[in-house]
Amino acid sequence: MAVAAKPRGRLRFAFLLNLTLLGLLLLMWLVLSVTTDSFMTTNNIVNLLRQASLWAVIAIGQTFVIITGGIDLSVGAVVGLSSTVVALLLKADFPIWAAVGLTLMLGPVIGAFHAFGILKLGLPPFIMTLATLTAFRGIGLLMTNGATISGFPPEFTGFSRLSFLGIPSLFWVVILVAIPSYILLHHSRWGRYIYAVGSNSEAARLSGVHIARTIYLAYILSATLACLAGILTASRIAIGVATTGEGWELQSIASSVIGGTSLFGAVGSITGPLLGSMLLTTINNGANLLNVNPFWQRIITGFLIIAIVFFDQLRRRRKG
Amino acid sequence: MTGPFATARVEAPEPGVATLELRKLDKKFAGTHALKAVSLSFMPGEVHAIVGENGAGKSTLIKLLTGVYPKTSGSILWQGREVEFSGPQDALVLGINAVHQEVVLCPHLTVAANIFLGDETTRFGLLRKREMTRRAQAILDELGFHLPADAMLSDLTIGQQQLVATARAASRGTRFLVFDEPTGYLTRAETDQLFALIRRLHGQGVTIIYISHRMEEIFQIADRVSVLRDGQLIGTHVVAETNERDLIREMVNRPLDQVHHKEVIPLGDTLLEVRNMSGPGFEDVSLTVRRGEIVGLYGLIGAGRSEFVQCLFGRTRKTAGDVKLKGKAVEFRREADAIDSGIVLLPESRRDQGLCLNLPVGFNLNLPVFHKISTGGLIRSGEEKTRSDKQMRDLRIVAASRNVDALTLSGGNQQKIVIGKWLNHGADLFIFDEPTVGVDVGTKAEIYKLMAILLRNGAGIILISSYLPEVYDLGDTLHVFRKGRLAATFGHRKVDHETILAEAIGT
Repeated sequence: MAVAAKPRGRLRFAFLLNLTLLGLLLLMWLVLSVTTDSFMTTNNIVNLLRQASLWAVIAIGQTFVIITGGIDLSVGAVVGLSSTVVALLLKADFPIWAAVGLTLMLGPVIGAFHAFGILKLGLPPFIMTLATLTAFRGIGLLMTNGATISGFPPEFTGFSRLSFLGIPSLFWVVILVAIPSYILLHHSRWGRYIYAVGSNSEAARLSGVHIARTIYLAYILSATLACLAGILTASRIAIGVATTGEGWELQSIASSVIGGTSLFGAVGSITGPLLGSMLLTTINNGANLLNVNPFWQRIITGFLIIAIVFFDQLRRRRKG
Repeated sequence: MTGPFATARVEAPEPGVATLELRKLDKKFAGTHALKAVSLSFMPGEVHAIVGENGAGKSTLIKLLTGVYPKTSGSILWQGREVEFSGPQDALVLGINAVHQEVVLCPHLTVAANIFLGDETTRFGLLRKREMTRRAQAILDELGFHLPADAMLSDLTIGQQQLVATARAASRGTRFLVFDEPTGYLTRAETDQLFALIRRLHGQGVTIIYISHRMEEIFQIADRVSVLRDGQLIGTHVVAETNERDLIREMVNRPLDQVHHKEVIPLGDTLLEVRNMSGPGFEDVSLTVRRGEIVGLYGLIGAGRSEFVQCLFGRTRKTAGDVKLKGKAVEFRREADAIDSGIVLLPESRRDQGLCLNLPVGFNLNLPVFHKISTGGLIRSGEEKTRSDKQMRDLRIVAASRNVDALTLSGGNQQKIVIGKWLNHGADLFIFDEPTVGVDVGTKAEIYKLMAILLRNGAGIILISSYLPEVYDLGDTLHVFRKGRLAATFGHRKVDHETILAEAIGT
């Protein structure tokens, strides 16, 4: 049929989903602050924001990749590897700026390697990043022999405890990541290309879009943000361990998908992973405070993903 | 009859009772009244053509008949009894089948597996593959389709896949078969095979609904024809008592002088010069395109036309020969190089190659120009809007707004987006690969008019079409491809259709 079923369908759905998530989040906060004494304490809120921040940073990177129609399973392992690397560099008496800078430069290398494997070797993104997930964990363990590295300069560990204008420094990092990411995804031509590649890479190629560059960009962003999260984690827990960030790849995918990113590509926003990671952290935190067995958090996350993806499918079916 | 069609026999229908009757059938979508109180009877053993512009309601009608959409009001009577369809399965059990314009089969399965998909022959729960291949081959042979039953579907051309889809529908006890634009991708020989099949099913009392934009096919195959316009039934005629001009007038409600109208445009400088070019799938091709000229490429599917233009566009690398554009030798490593030099390709398959279907209309229109409308990488959103609105207005693209996804538009409007994005970008040489497949007469005329505008503005056009009248009427020069080579070259309407076809086939 000629005429569209609904004007602005995609915008309205994204907006409604964000609104629903925000409502759900506020509801959970309300319930938790009424039912527990410890939720609405400065300490707990700051703690909540810090954990959410780390997940938000990798979820934003993950979102770029998922919109291209890919997936990055390695982000958790990259968090572990980069926290180990920054720890080793600090122990080797590198100044903090150099240790952080060098560790961040791992991001483009890892991301480029992923894109290379996908584009040149023809591996599916799922396999490519599943392989590096194992490999990076191995490299981290090999470098430290499985040991925990501690004894960082106080300026390094102090950073994650800072607050500015009453907001924890880690949350400021999220803002500093989210704003450029938003501009890149929604207001730059490279953002448009990310959507185009995720929707139909053949049509994009025939329209003169450089597919390879777009894929490289997405995986490099994801890996670099994962490196950043690794450095921040090392600062927060004051140790470097190769096993840090275990399971965070699923947290990041879940945050992104709960926030409305479609695993089929070409659908997603930056606000999505922000709300998604906040929601997952709140569930985690709430379960702790309510003395619920922490394993419930995983179960709830699982069902939440099923519900959200189901609604996404429902919307597609109605449209098709 | 016996053989593979033993199950396809139709009980003798009661005389005078319609196989399927529609009474005031109505369908509303949010905001659109797609079908307005259509009453129509389809008799046993008739070939009933349905014509109308894109958006006239043909697809909606078909989807209601096959149970894909629920109706809003009115009733559907199957052999005199009212029926309610809650899904396609309800229509299938009655024997209502459809062969769609776009092939909906599994490319990774064999032809036989596709024919029997959902209806496999098993013994003790295990597939009897050899038995199925044998039966599938018998069906194909019986139908006169020269296709191997054990081939992978993905190894066949789109046209051949369409025949498999037809065989699939025909083999399942069909009493009512809908063809939605079946010949879009078929060669002449394949079209003949299809028509032979339709005549045979017709002889067995099967009711056939035939949707096509190709008027001469309707006059060749149909008994009656119904015209839809803006969701309303305008009229039903016995084909023998009407003619093309009257039908077109009813469809568009504005007289079209000539469907393939060719404007006389003076030819300018040489734009493209190809000398002895070879590449994957073609050899030793030489041709020139001048400004203001349409160069038609005709040939059977697989003759090398598409391979040649893909190479010209930088998708594949040439192995020999020279290409000069505007007097300068060019070498393209990728599509973007060709686009930057002023060559653009409007691909054959809108859905697979032309559009980002689940992205907005405006996005698609601006896809090639994002680098032009951004400063330091940031998109100038005002210009993004004005540019897409301009194309939507100029090309009369029917959509609720620039923000709706491309997939919600009709085929003709989707094709206009593909054209619009290149008008938005601008180019010297436009390569149109099958631009009017699945497009109605009105939109077709609009596309031809757009081509004329491009030519008057000094562009050149390479037009590929499997539809001979199109390249014949429009091409200033017509090159015929056969087996990867240029077999013959003709001036505008210099020879008759038969000569061209003979060159393409190589008799």
